[in-house]
Amino acid sequence: MNKQTKIILFLCNWGPHAAYLSLQDEKQNIPEAVHMVRIPCTGRVDRALLLRAFAKGADGVAMIGCSPGTCRYGSGTPTAIRNTQDTGTILDLMGIGQERLRFATFLPEQSEELLEFLQTFLHDIQKLGPTAITTLPDNPLPANPLNLPREEVSALVNTYDIHACQDCGKCSSACPLALVGKPFSARGIATAVINNELYKTNVQENVWSCLTCGLCYERCPSAVNFPAFIKELRYLYQKNTIQGNEAHGGFLHSLMRSMASPDLTPNRYQNIPEKLKIDPDSNILFYGGCAPYFDIFFSKHIDVNTEKILFDSIRLLNFFDVHPRLLGDERCCGHDLLWSGEQRHFKEVARLNVERLNSLGIETMITTCPECYMTFKTTYPDMGFQLNFEVVHLYDFLEKEIDRGAVEFTSFDKAVTFQDSCRLCRLEDRQELPRQLLARLQPNTFTEMRESGKGSMCCGNTAWTGCDSYSKAMQVKRLQQAKETGAELLITSCPKCQIHLQCAMQDPFREEELQIEMLDLTSVIAQTITWK
Amino acid sequence: MQKEIIVTGFGGQGIILAGRILGTAASLGDNKESTLVQAYGPESRGGACNAQVIISDTPIHYPYVKIPHILVAMSQAGYDKFSGLLQEDSILLTDQDLVPTTNAPCAHYEIAATRMAESLGHKMMANIIMIGFFTAITEAVSKNAALETVNRSVPKGTEEKNQKAFNKGFDYGLSTLKGKEKRAAGMTGAIAQ
Ligand code: SF4
Ligand code: SF4
Ligand code: SF4
Repeated sequence: MNKQTKIILFLCNWGPHAAYLSLQDEKQNIPEAVHMVRIPCTGRVDRALLLRAFAKGADGVAMIGCSPGTCRYGSGTPTAIRNTQDTGTILDLMGIGQERLRFATFLPEQSEELLEFLQTFLHDIQKLGPTAITTLPDNPLPANPLNLPREEVSALVNTYDIHACQDCGKCSSACPLALVGKPFSARGIATAVINNELYKTNVQENVWSCLTCGLCYERCPSAVNFPAFIKELRYLYQKNTIQGNEAHGGFLHSLMRSMASPDLTPNRYQNIPEKLKIDPDSNILFYGGCAPYFDIFFSKHIDVNTEKILFDSIRLLNFFDVHPRLLGDERCCGHDLLWSGEQRHFKEVARLNVERLNSLGIETMITTCPECYMTFKTTYPDMGFQLNFEVVHLYDFLEKEIDRGAVEFTSFDKAVTFQDSCRLCRLEDRQELPRQLLARLQPNTFTEMRESGKGSMCCGNTAWTGCDSYSKAMQVKRLQQAKETGAELLITSCPKCQIHLQCAMQDPFREEELQIEMLDLTSVIAQTITWK
Repeated sequence: MQKEIIVTGFGGQGIILAGRILGTAASLGDNKESTLVQAYGPESRGGACNAQVIISDTPIHYPYVKIPHILVAMSQAGYDKFSGLLQEDSILLTDQDLVPTTNAPCAHYEIAATRMAESLGHKMMANIIMIGFFTAITEAVSKNAALETVNRSVPKGTEEKNQKAFNKGFDYGLSTLKGKEKRAAGMTGAIAQ
């Protein structure tokens, strides 16, 4: 199939647009493949838009702005350069290649140079061919979006036994969102579903805001599985083209949706430290997850290094003489797609993952990301995707090895506390797992937060959906709880906890009050474990 | 090749049983010669006691241990009594919690056998853990022979628990050897220095 090459040209309104106009006036041969989008300033084209262009089928994207110093708004050009670089690095990781995204500047009188640039760019892109990204067809517009299919809604009510809700309100008294004052009610969603009021905007807002953290499910006397219910509700919404509020302009969602393209071949693990021992023939695979993408994206705002968790995991495997296999074309597990209602994309990702992973002939997959763990271990089989190997959390591996081993931990002079991952602790019911390991460490003191284990508050966001000022309020509260223990180090067990909590620490009015060092449990172990 | 072994501790720890298991494993399991001398007396009421085991490829003419190749000490008193006999090429195995003070001229391997047995829920199995540890470190008896003998020597119905205890000690032994190797190679931690 010979798809027509498509180049998106984000063109600044000021300088270069004049050059473009001249080309049009002179009836110059602007390639047909170039689709021009006139914008007020390249600095305003964020990374989400750049990536979305590719996710929606562009083969190349050019950002044309004004040369530094001539930007009408001052900071447009450097911002655009930064955004192009970040997105390019991510395109590399995805296996798309950053050469498909270009930034250039032209003065109003440089129309010839602009034309030459466009022709060369088109030529280069044609040489590269189409990207491997394919898009699933959009959901058909429902006849009446205000009226969600009644049968599907009642099927949900039955599956999740919503009628069993006793209207006791225990969920609201546990829900961290309700507790920070958000007009939010789990029970309200349940009632709305029964009364066929899902079309109401406040109900929709609530459905997209739920953290699917599972705290209410812990407390509910009728065992209404709220996280799973919300997951399905979101799918129902998506099918009826009711979109959630994707954080960060949907950058991460575009990224994940692209992972559903069969021919996409990501290009991971190009930067692993030399000393790590990897064995392509090993029957143990280490599955890293999306941390490196996050690091690139968030480095613009916050100081995070979650890729370190992956490297430290491999260091620990090496410590116990396991030289794991890595998958250069590792996709994402699809967790966030599923939990933001993108079930169609999730199923594609899962199908591709199962096909690839089952073909490897491995016996074990070890991962340290709680979302990857839950998704591969529980969600895939539940949804009919069978894996022909065992999925093991790194903590399980470590606990077993340390328990039998002549190893010990060097002490470190810090008071510590621990942030549970909602996936590992509640949804997978493994709150004891990190604690066994924590108990082996030799910090100055270890104090649990006021809410911990099964009752702990999560980091304030799941699946990059519905982040708002209440999420921030919640994170501030959580950080205050951590500080309250007197801890100097907050040990985490999910890369996203680090990102979301670090984000909350940026609050300029509370700077000192919220600052606390964070390290993943994996890294703390890697730093202190020794042979006896 | 003749290996002379002393297992020492206090009464009630199953020291004599440990000695018997080692000797039996060597003779019935590994088809070697073996002897056992058990020192009872006031010891059996809780004082120091010991078992002397000799394992050999050829017939054994004298069953008492003069110079131990291997000393297994599960009490400080037991250690103190025999440590003077240790040579440079001997091997010392101790329960690190029960023998806090040592000053051995030879290779020394420690295990918290009693504590491990407690965490398995049976303090009585410290001796079996020690046998597992002994087997991994010294290779004086084979793993199969030791494990089978453990199975035959413990009360009916407790085989599985004892196997678990044996493996616990054995794994810890292997891991200890690995740790020594890594340390010697300068690879102490997970993060390269
Ligand atoms: S899953 Fe969490 S955020 Fe959602 S309603 Fe329950 S407690 Fe609230
Ligand atoms: S806790 Fe359960 S039963 Fe009670 S109101 Fe919430 S959903 Fe209903
Ligand atoms: S908490 Fe920060 S990093 Fe997390 S989704 Fe919200 S804005 Fe993004």
